[in-house]
Amino acid sequence: MEHTATYIGLIPLFPLVGALVLGLMHMLTCTKNPFPEKLYGILACVGPLLSFFLALVVYYHLKGLPAEERFLSHNAFTWFAVGDLQVNMGFLADPLSSLMLLFVTFIGSLIHIYSIGYMAGDKNFGKFFAYLNLFLGSMLILVLGSGPVVMFVGWEGVGLCSYLLISFYSEDTDNVLAGNKAFIVNRIGDLGFVLGMSFLFWAIGTHGFDYLSLKANAHNLTPGIGIAVCLLLFIGACGKSAQIPLYVWLPDAMAGPTPVSALIHAATMVTAGVYMVARFSFLYAHFPLAGSIVAWVGILTALLAAFFGMFQKDIKKILAYSTVSQLGYMFAAVGIAAYSAGIFHVFTHAFFKALLFLGAGSVIYALHHQQDIWKMGGLKDKMPKTYGTMLIGALALSGAPLFSGFFSKDEILFSALASGHTGIWIIGVLVAGMTAYYTFRMIFLVFHGEPRDKEIYDHAKDAPPVMTIPLIILAVGAAFAGVLNLPGIFGGSLNISHWLAPSLVEHHPHVSIWIEILAIVTSIAAFAAGITIAYRKFGHGAEEPEYTGFAKFGYNKFYVDEIYNAVFVQPYKAVGSVISKFLEPNVTDIHVKLCTWLYQKAGKAFKVFQVGYIRVYAIYMVIGLSLMSLFLSQSLK
Amino acid sequence: MHDFISLLPLIIIGSGAILLMLFSAFEKIQLETASYISMGFFAAAFLAQLLVGCGPETVLFDKIFNGMLVSSNFTMIAGLIILGCGFFTAMNSHTYFKINLFCTLEFYAIMLFGACGMLLLTLSQELITAFISLEIMSLSIYILVGYDRSNVTSTEAILKYLMLGAFAGAFFTMGTALIYGGTQSTKFAEIGSFVAGHSGTNPLVLGGVFFIFVAFLFKAAAFPFHAWVIDVYDGAAAPVTGFMATALKTAVFTIFANFLAINGALHKDWITFLFYIAVFTMFGGNLIAIGQNSIKRMLAASGIVHSGYLLIALVAISTDNFTGTVVGYYLAAYAVGTLGIFSALSYLAGEGEKRATFDDFRGLANVRPYSAAAITVFLLSMAGIPPTAGFMAKFYVITSAFTAGHMTLAVLGIVSSILSMWYYLRLIIHMYFHEAEECFETGGSPLAAAATFILVFCVFAIGLYPIVI
Repeated sequence: MEHTATYIGLIPLFPLVGALVLGLMHMLTCTKNPFPEKLYGILACVGPLLSFFLALVVYYHLKGLPAEERFLSHNAFTWFAVGDLQVNMGFLADPLSSLMLLFVTFIGSLIHIYSIGYMAGDKNFGKFFAYLNLFLGSMLILVLGSGPVVMFVGWEGVGLCSYLLISFYSEDTDNVLAGNKAFIVNRIGDLGFVLGMSFLFWAIGTHGFDYLSLKANAHNLTPGIGIAVCLLLFIGACGKSAQIPLYVWLPDAMAGPTPVSALIHAATMVTAGVYMVARFSFLYAHFPLAGSIVAWVGILTALLAAFFGMFQKDIKKILAYSTVSQLGYMFAAVGIAAYSAGIFHVFTHAFFKALLFLGAGSVIYALHHQQDIWKMGGLKDKMPKTYGTMLIGALALSGAPLFSGFFSKDEILFSALASGHTGIWIIGVLVAGMTAYYTFRMIFLVFHGEPRDKEIYDHAKDAPPVMTIPLIILAVGAAFAGVLNLPGIFGGSLNISHWLAPSLVEHHPHVSIWIEILAIVTSIAAFAAGITIAYRKFGHGAEEPEYTGFAKFGYNKFYVDEIYNAVFVQPYKAVGSVISKFLEPNVTDIHVKLCTWLYQKAGKAFKVFQVGYIRVYAIYMVIGLSLMSLFLSQSLK
Repeated sequence: MHDFISLLPLIIIGSGAILLMLFSAFEKIQLETASYISMGFFAAAFLAQLLVGCGPETVLFDKIFNGMLVSSNFTMIAGLIILGCGFFTAMNSHTYFKINLFCTLEFYAIMLFGACGMLLLTLSQELITAFISLEIMSLSIYILVGYDRSNVTSTEAILKYLMLGAFAGAFFTMGTALIYGGTQSTKFAEIGSFVAGHSGTNPLVLGGVFFIFVAFLFKAAAFPFHAWVIDVYDGAAAPVTGFMATALKTAVFTIFANFLAINGALHKDWITFLFYIAVFTMFGGNLIAIGQNSIKRMLAASGIVHSGYLLIALVAISTDNFTGTVVGYYLAAYAVGTLGIFSALSYLAGEGEKRATFDDFRGLANVRPYSAAAITVFLLSMAGIPPTAGFMAKFYVITSAFTAGHMTLAVLGIVSSILSMWYYLRLIIHMYFHEAEECFETGGSPLAAAATFILVFCVFAIGLYPIVI
């Protein structure tokens, strides 16, 4: 049962209009006397805040409907219709997308506000906000799209913005290369998405190609096609959400401004893959084999990224690997058909990871773009607000009991255990311990101990309120967002899971309470172990160690980048250079050049006839007339 | 009453022409005022033409004119194009003659007379009427072409045009005489019924139709009667060239199509003939165009190529149910593109048309980015790149050739379209990928620039909403 609601079309429209206005303003004035930053800042925040407001309206609208009727749709226009494929620019707000809408617009708005402070003084201030607004608009199209095609529009839009923002400081070639890497790796994933979408259309798309029609027709899929579709779509998700083997772009993506890392590469865009798998839960739930593959790829990514995170020294790289690792958890969850647990982790992760990135941004801002944690130390007295909020974020990330991350991670681990995926559970617990270790390694090195670089330490101070207030708001969220989905054992009733139920196809296994307690106890133990080791090693100051052996291997990320470079990039470039140096000039171009040469010569020759004497022109007419008369007399016979 | 309203645009333009002639006789007004007045008359006539709207084919004042004038949707479209061209030409002239000071008041009056002849030509369904309107139009254009008497190229242009044009006029009268001899009538409808009633070829009709075709092909600058067009376009002032290239061609092709459509048997006899003319016109035009160094000469040659496309459309028209939509749409698309470039030339060329060759347009994108962008749009439209009007026009022409079964012609049309990229893109390359050598300030009023940007809008509007036509 669907209800129509025209206003949901406005949700992505507001930031998109903002992007257009800001972009035009910036384009017209970038060479001379630009508009004041304050104007850009205010205009940039209007769109996201209006969208947030409408997201709240959507939430209350849905809440007022009976659970099985919670679908609001709006068809803006028919985008194109080719044969059986009719694609509407349609939007669908159901419990799943409304939850995504709420946190995307909420965190998006906060990060817009924070950026006003962080980007102050940048000469491309207007451009930054135009991109950021464009990103938010695309993300909202992705979330609200009523079918795979519209989702793909947003999917490509966020990819583009991610590329533009990673390379934002384009004076530095490294940043541009990082942007290229992100874009190219994402394109590989997108190929999977497009193929998956095409197969899906070919198999069951003729009776409507939006989620609700697809869901109704999903039973017609044969297992072979179904599994292929699931895996191809998952390749798309791997690209966007940085899973093995396509995770390599995300750590490099940290070249962009820190608010971008927080919004795009931690809180929202990178979770699009998880959202997509949940959106297609009606497919993945049908084909448990595909789900298992997703889950295993996810949990192995979580393990690998956690390893890498333990040895990094750049504060943003640590957080980036931690993001990859947490995304791995989410995929593990959606892979074992615990969709609501995965989405819940997306939700809490958005708060605490955005908080950690913004906190890291404050630190970087205070230390004048110093990102090496081995150059920091003792900052907790200088930057108390940043320290306090980041500590909350770190506790949430490590899964400290009663913080938001604890509930969501525990939900995933419990689901793994309850559904019989013991291997995934064991690795998950291990990763939880490692997470606690590397998170607190970072906290201890940055904020505790003695300052390692006296000079920058002396100049450090807390950021202005426009930056700290969003931190505090996010800290509140990071601490308490877990309350929204309290499991029964803590006296809650899994509100988010129930809220999401109409959008998803999942079954909650009923298992004994002892298994739930076992899951909780082991995660608390893992957290305690991780934090204790971190405290022992780094709590009282430590010097930068010389990495050897396995640690060096980890610090260099198992040389995956180098292997990819040698196996894929270099041979590809070699083939390209052979084609451009030999094949193109000698085989293909030569015909083209011959044609143009002939044409040019013919033109030159023809120009000779244009002599300029009237008598000659009259002669042309006479000759023409004679020939035509001849032709006519021939045709008369 | 309907007859009167259908003639209203013609009456408005005619009275405007007489009024301006009187003003100029007594020198009561300024040159600028004259251009505003002519703009006003063109706008009023355009609106009147729009208000007449679509209606059934009507014989105007049947008793008085004896079926000489017939209005239809097709003539209405042609009228709209001609009047629009006149309006924008008046705007361009306003700007152009602020820098180039050879203009007098009569210029605008003569332009209105020219438009009068064109409108009458589109309505004509009788050979004598057609001849008179053809000559009204041609005489006005001769004067406009040679307006700058102190300029050698301009004088050369008028001489060539006048002499060769006289040939064409002679052919037309000769053709009329032969046809009258063969059919005892000069009215299209009666010629049509004569041809339908007599099987076999009547040599008098054949010769007469042939001579009339020659006259039309000359005016349309089709191969092998194209040679004058390069020098004449080059010699005339930019706004006049724009007017000639668009409005005149519209009028000529309208009467051409009307004449061809009178009888299916007649049309069928001439398909092979027109086929070869179309092919030679397209490819000959392309070959001439690539060798040119002056923008105006290149545009003249590209006008020949566009005549070739219009001939394809004429080959493919269906005489049983003639509507002229394909021809009309192509004419409209061609008119906005060409007129747009001439608008831009009117204010960019400067005094004495200093900026004239490809080399002079080097680096224009740096100096005048918006003008360069506008010219790019027009060029892409003429080359037939989506989403411009030119693309849709070519698309319709080629589709109509396909549906009429002229596969070869359609394919050759596409090939010619590819060849035409050479000189259109060449100008774009000059504007964007070369450094400016010298740039000079251009004066004049902003009207031509305004016309340019309105026409940019028209290029997209006509391209995206072909329903307009």
